Amino acid sequence: MIYLRRLLDVPSKDPDDARHRKLLNILLTGIGIITLIALLFITVANITQAIEPEDIASVYWGSLAIFVGVIVVFAINRYWSGDLASTLFLLLLTIVLAFGDEPLQVVEGRTLIMFAAPILMASVLLRPAASFVFATLSSLIVIWISRVTLNIFPNIPGILTFFVLALVSWLSSRSLENVLRDLRTVNAELDQRVEMRTRELTEANQQLAEANDRLKELDRLKSKFVSMVSHELRTPLNAIQGFAEMLVAGVYGRLSAQQEGAMDRITFNADRLLRIVSDLLDQARIEAGELAIHVKAFSISELIDDLSATMGILVESKGLKLITEIDYRIPEIMHGDPHRLHQILVNLTNNALKFTEKGAITVKVYPPDADHWALEISDTGVGIPQEAQSFIFQPFQQVDSSPTREHQGVGLGLAIVKQLAELMNGEIIVESEVEKGSTFTIVLPLLTPHHEGEN
Amino acid sequence: MNKQLAFVIEDEPDLATIFSEALLSVGFETKIITFGDVAIKELETSVPAVVVLDLHIPRLAGTEVLKYIRSDERLKDVKVIIATADAALAESIEKKADLVLLKPISFLQLRTLAERLKTTFE
Repeated sequence: MIYLRRLLDVPSKDPDDARHRKLLNILLTGIGIITLIALLFITVANITQAIEPEDIASVYWGSLAIFVGVIVVFAINRYWSGDLASTLFLLLLTIVLAFGDEPLQVVEGRTLIMFAAPILMASVLLRPAASFVFATLSSLIVIWISRVTLNIFPNIPGILTFFVLALVSWLSSRSLENVLRDLRTVNAELDQRVEMRTRELTEANQQLAEANDRLKELDRLKSKFVSMVSHELRTPLNAIQGFAEMLVAGVYGRLSAQQEGAMDRITFNADRLLRIVSDLLDQARIEAGELAIHVKAFSISELIDDLSATMGILVESKGLKLITEIDYRIPEIMHGDPHRLHQILVNLTNNALKFTEKGAITVKVYPPDADHWALEISDTGVGIPQEAQSFIFQPFQQVDSSPTREHQGVGLGLAIVKQLAELMNGEIIVESEVEKGSTFTIVLPLLTPHHEGEN
Repeated sequence: MNKQLAFVIEDEPDLATIFSEALLSVGFETKIITFGDVAIKELETSVPAVVVLDLHIPRLAGTEVLKYIRSDERLKDVKVIIATADAALAESIEKKADLVLLKPISFLQLRTLAERLKTTFE
């Protein structure tokens, strides 16, 4: 199929010319094949002696002439000029028609109708108006044979039919060419538009990529900035805390009750500021992928006792209870990062404390299944509206972010808890009902001693 | 009886004062050193009972000072308390130190620790 197409296609820059030349090639191929079939048929007929042997030689010579003509026209069409080849082909066809049959058959009989072929083909192979040229030529041949050879009155209806055919052929070919030209114009416009859109898209993509790079760079700078600022803030804060503790401890002499009260406020606020700075630093390190989890053996009861020691007084000072329960199926020695687990527990307990006015905060440790253990912190506080549950784990997001909000903090506590849980290959689940309370559950994989030292 | 010597190797003067006061208050004699190379020179001539060591100090890193202490037979009984804000670095040298404290370090916390250390020497 590909070979056939390669044989028929003629490379030409002008699409009309290419179409004309391809059409001519198809016609020539068709004629060649029909001649071959006819030859085969006649040869078979000759062998079976269905026709007279003396006619055979002229049939072979005629066929040979047709083949030579086809090949010559094909070569001119392919390598030289389509118009010349088509003209030559149509002229040859007309001449064969004019002299290939008895004169009477040509002007009155079976061959007369055959002149329609070159007339119709001319508008398709050359240009629409060319059919008139071949109608004229065919008419002249018919008149000449009628007057000179046969001395009869020319076949006027036949000649008129030539011109009617030429007219119909001209009209249809012309409209076909117009449609094709319009199509090509539309196509070119479309190509141009596609090219323009592609260019616009490429430019937009490039701008997006640049914007993305700038954002990434900004994000990196932000993390670096936060990390640097946090480090720089922690040292003076440590000094403030230290000196305050020294004053309270009486290193520089006894303080009055009022001075001690003031020192308590200094210590309390320095602690708060330090926690915020630590949270910012942790968030920056998590974002920069610098915060690592260090797995080692730890005592679960010590972890929970530490939480009670850190948070117990605060919880009780608000008139609440801190209840802790460790399920008997939880082994005393566990594997994980006790420092970060403590941070998770403190953050969640702090969060519960912030939003609970009466009742209790309950911390439970239990195995939800054979491969996991869970830390569950539940409170009897205000609860979290359904629509807020989706964003409370986003950094710097708070349920109430209005200027009149009652609760303090920068909104990093839960975000850090979630990210730490994920760094430990665990997950956090929140269940809450407004006015009833909230339960946060951290589900973590149970690790064995061979995980020690893993990040 | 002579007071036991404690080195506070810390370049932040306020923090050095706090650490030093915590050690003084439980009966150590203290010396504040700001530079790593000075610390090595001091360690060549005297053997402190306790060293509070910041890891980020000028001229010679705290890790090098720790390496020096651990490589010298004379200093084998020195108790080294690392005081740093760098959790990752602290983790990596945890085994070489007697104690690792992550900044912020409270005066009371260090005083309690120093008191405990003091009783082990007596």
